[in-house]
Amino acid sequence: MTQDSGSADDPLHTEAEPIWKRDFPYEAAEEEEVTRREFARYLTLGIGAMAAGSVGLAAWTQLRTINTGEPRPVVALHRVAIGETFLFDYPTPQDPAVLLRLDDTRVVGFSQKCTHLGCVVYFEPEESRWHCPCHEGNFDGSSGEVLSGPPTSPLGKIELEVRDGTIWALGREV
Amino acid sequence: MTEVTVARRRTTSAVLIYLIVLMSFQIFLVTVADQAFMTASKSLAWATAAVSVVLAFLAALCLRFLRH
Repeated sequence: MTQDSGSADDPLHTEAEPIWKRDFPYEAAEEEEVTRREFARYLTLGIGAMAAGSVGLAAWTQLRTINTGEPRPVVALHRVAIGETFLFDYPTPQDPAVLLRLDDTRVVGFSQKCTHLGCVVYFEPEESRWHCPCHEGNFDGSSGEVLSGPPTSPLGKIELEVRDGTIWALGREV
Repeated sequence: MTEVTVARRRTTSAVLIYLIVLMSFQIFLVTVADQAFMTASKSLAWATAAVSVVLAFLAALCLRFLRH
């Protein structure tokens, strides 16, 4: 296929410079065509880089330490009615947590992050379960175990204790 | 175009398709590794890394095959 049938009449047109280049004289930094072999090399390099990234991520997962938190008071027991929840942050301000008062003396606490993709869970008293609205994950209200939905691991549990009428967070279970 | 050239082109295309499949699988593995990291699942993270490295070796073998 010829690019310009009238190129013989055009003194500016040469084989080295097609006519479209004369009309649009802009050049990119890397304008050369990429051969299939080069493309295969780029793909292989990309695959290698991702493999290195996976190994790095595995090493990071292995080496990182999880902050289980220091004991600290959360809220006075009388401020949380039976069957009600209370939101707090534990162990750091970036970790949303929630506690549920089960009866006069028992309280349970969980990380509020769904173990599927990290959405915030909330308590459904009529079903006595924690519900994640993102992908319909459900966890048991008192144990945090998975009831249904895509999550495969239970909610992160926070050890709580009632001391002198105050609910204390003692640490996050790992 | 000679028969040898056509055969080489077909081989290159076949290897390219194979590499693209490997790349797709690798992208999937990265998401699995990310999930393993978020859930602190060490065994899953290492298993993913091992499969990922095997895929990288396979890709390198393909590239070496292309050079011959």
